[in-house]
Amino acid sequence: MLEARGLAKRYPVVTGLRSLFSARRDSYVHAVDGIDLSVERGEVLGLVGESGCGKSTTGKLLVGLEQPTAGTIALDGEDLGALRRRDRRAFYRRVQMIFQDPYGSINPMHDVFSAVSRPLVYQGMRDAADIRRRVLAAMARVGLSPPEVFAGRHPHLLSGGQRQRLCIARAIVLEPRFLVADEPISMLDVSIKWDIIRLLRRLVGDEQLSMIYITHDLTTVPTLCHRVAIMYLGRIVEIGTPDEVLRAPKHPYTRALVASIPSIDPHRKRPPAQISGAIHSAIDLPTGCRFRDRCPIGDAGCAAQDPALHAVDGRAVACLKASSTAPAATADTVLPSGGA
Amino acid sequence: MSWIVQFITAVRRTASGRIGLYVFAFFGLVAIFGPMLAPYEPFERVYHDGRLVRLASPSAQHWLGTTSLGRDVFSQMLYGARQAMIVGCATAIGVAAIGVNVGLIAGYFGGRIDAVMMRITDIFLGVPFLPFLIVVLAITGRSTTTIIFAMTLIMWRAAARVIRAQVLSIKQMPFVAAARTTGAGDFTVLYREIAPNIMPIALVNVTLAMAWAIITEASIGFLGYGDPSVTSWGSIIHAAYAAQMMYRAPWWVIPPGIAIMVLVSSVYFVGRAYEHVVNPRLAVQ
Amino acid sequence: MQRYILHRTWQMAITLFALMTLMFFLFRLLPGDPTMTVVSSAMDPRAQAAMRAQFGLDRPLLEQYLAYLVSYATFDFGYSFHSSGRVSDMLAGRLVNTLVLILPSMIVAYALGTLIGALLGWYRGRRFEIAAVLLATAVQAAPLFWVGMLAILFFSIHLGWFPPGHIVPPGAFPDPTWRMYLSPEFFHHLALPFVVHTAYQLSYPTLLMRSSMLNTIGEDFVEFARIKGLRERRILFGHAARNSLLPVATTIPMILGWALAGSVVIETVFSWPGLGLLMIEAVQRSDYPVVQATFFLIAILTILGTFAADLLYGVLDPRIVYD
Repeated sequence: MLEARGLAKRYPVVTGLRSLFSARRDSYVHAVDGIDLSVERGEVLGLVGESGCGKSTTGKLLVGLEQPTAGTIALDGEDLGALRRRDRRAFYRRVQMIFQDPYGSINPMHDVFSAVSRPLVYQGMRDAADIRRRVLAAMARVGLSPPEVFAGRHPHLLSGGQRQRLCIARAIVLEPRFLVADEPISMLDVSIKWDIIRLLRRLVGDEQLSMIYITHDLTTVPTLCHRVAIMYLGRIVEIGTPDEVLRAPKHPYTRALVASIPSIDPHRKRPPAQISGAIHSAIDLPTGCRFRDRCPIGDAGCAAQDPALHAVDGRAVACLKASSTAPAATADTVLPSGGA
Repeated sequence: MSWIVQFITAVRRTASGRIGLYVFAFFGLVAIFGPMLAPYEPFERVYHDGRLVRLASPSAQHWLGTTSLGRDVFSQMLYGARQAMIVGCATAIGVAAIGVNVGLIAGYFGGRIDAVMMRITDIFLGVPFLPFLIVVLAITGRSTTTIIFAMTLIMWRAAARVIRAQVLSIKQMPFVAAARTTGAGDFTVLYREIAPNIMPIALVNVTLAMAWAIITEASIGFLGYGDPSVTSWGSIIHAAYAAQMMYRAPWWVIPPGIAIMVLVSSVYFVGRAYEHVVNPRLAVQ
Repeated sequence: MQRYILHRTWQMAITLFALMTLMFFLFRLLPGDPTMTVVSSAMDPRAQAAMRAQFGLDRPLLEQYLAYLVSYATFDFGYSFHSSGRVSDMLAGRLVNTLVLILPSMIVAYALGTLIGALLGWYRGRRFEIAAVLLATAVQAAPLFWVGMLAILFFSIHLGWFPPGHIVPPGAFPDPTWRMYLSPEFFHHLALPFVVHTAYQLSYPTLLMRSSMLNTIGEDFVEFARIKGLRERRILFGHAARNSLLPVATTIPMILGWALAGSVVIETVFSWPGLGLLMIEAVQRSDYPVVQATFFLIAILTILGTFAADLLYGVLDPRIVYD
């Protein structure tokens, strides 16, 4: 349904008048550096990585808040670059975004009803009764019930979880086919997170929606996602089903991520940290594999060649060392079973 | 226009705000109805028994006495109220209209539009206003319209700067990005999403503009460059100054100043009461 | 930093240039022939022509404009229409009179204002604070000329403590040398306008500093200073007030301009022979060379003052990055 090829986004380091004088004028921050994605109808693809890996930028590219500097995005076969220029409105009836910050993503001047009805109003809808029906329906679906009571409230009187439900209601009120959820639960209390995850799962299931679920929290992935992609420094380093990727990760970075998931079990032995150092700057990328200066199994060969995603054991990995025979280095990881 | 309602509600919350609002409303009423109720015409020379009533101290017939030309000061005060309100409100509206829009557009679109607009405002940064205005009025003739026009031209800069700064910080907030994903065009986002959020600070600036306009117009009148066809509080004092009677006829000179002080204070009170909405830290705990 | 100075100097130059051009054309292109005042149509045409030539009014506009720019660059302001004297001579003394009143007054007003404002912010809620705020607002709301008149009415006419204006006693010749500024009569005459102007300018920095303090006091570092056990006074001045100074300092560029512009008013009320009063008198006499020159001087002082204040601000705030 949605397919991205060679997607890239880079930002110049110096902007404005200074760019004429600065020596760094040819330096760019390579936020997204050539990724391929595809999401089918009714499928949820998780996009996981640490801060600065480019996952949020990817989300913005898919939603049209940023323009790619390279690559294409196709929605149901149509090239989005051309589509967006022609008709923004039509585009946003098909694609919507759920934002991370439930506090900042609602206009403080709006009450609940106004906030949810904005998309309809901006799309040109005039029939007040029709608008009202749709808004209340959307609110009911996300669990803001009874909708009539919530409609007149002001966002700052709602809890974090309720506000996020509001954002979701706003996102679905236009009945889009494709959602990009940018870390929708990272700013919520732990007790609320799972409610929202379950809500998203229900919405996806009921409407056969496609979703890209961006997160840094691996534990939520198995519940919601059909497939998961791990991002590092603007590239995807591994894609597979949550089961495959989390129980038997093939990329050293994925292994480190999985190993770092905290566990309640005091008896579980955690292997010591497998990777060293901090994430590399996205401006001057290292030659060859960009993970090699932190990688526990990297060698000289890794400096020479930049690994692309290739198929290993039915999924894609971007590591020169990855093969079917490499042992899965994870100990038994503790993951919540799907349906928690 | 919910922000008007919000404005009035917020102002009424504090005692000083309420007082300011009521006093301002009172002056508004005086401005509208005063001239109709004035016992004399402002430029009318009053005669009693065939003699010009010059420099009479306050009495039952002339509540605030008369000027050296036999004009009733109280009536002049009533007409002056109208002039002060007209000038204040017109300038405030002008400053709001230009300053808010320039600030919004410059702040939102940034880039060259922003640079150009800010350069335009900066060019006249160093112009001393009163001397400039006097020169202009001496050349183009003294009219209320010119005065309002010139004051608006000077004051909108400050408002635009403040609003632009506010827009720059609001622009970063997620709800703006969220609004763009609804299919809204840039101007829709700017005027229906961002603008309501800058209204509070815009309103505070508007009150400041109004206060400044009233005082400045009075100063211009005092210096003798007010509109000769209307009576303003400043020109009343100027007449006393020109007649060299300012220290011998306090009833002539003191009331206009008090009126200006009270009216402008009320505007300041309203502005400060509303500032609490903009800056909650200022609010009384 | 140097690039910023360059940039601002360039900006100043443009502003000045734009202003001067505007003034030039304002006088010459708008209705009201400036020569009317000097050259009466009743005069012999040859005398008219001679007068015009003397003032350079017969040359083509562009030539006049260039001559004007050149002469102003050298501070040669031409000759007065009214007195035929050199304008620059007239300006020198007047300029000093204005500065001697305005500058110290502004400095005192700002210094005192920030101090009072800091105290008001700190002791927020006490009765004297509320009263002081009301008073400051009222003073700000009253027009300067009226306050001046009231001051004269009370302290001069009624109490007789101070002279009602001028810079020297009436009838006395102003000492053309600098010694005048040291004489007791001078200070006696300076006192009232100085106090009035200072008191008037006091209210703005006071209120501004107070609201800045209110913002700062809410910050965590003040709480932390308390926890550290510092004395109240030390926190008040060493920490809270210092950090609140910034917004007040930002306004200094503007205040300078307002004060110079307002000099017109206070000089009129007190008959103080400064630039402002000169300009008013010249406008009344349609003495355009003088008007032009005084306005230019006021403007350039304002612009330079703004520039200097901007630089000062950059020095005060380590967070400022000039781009």
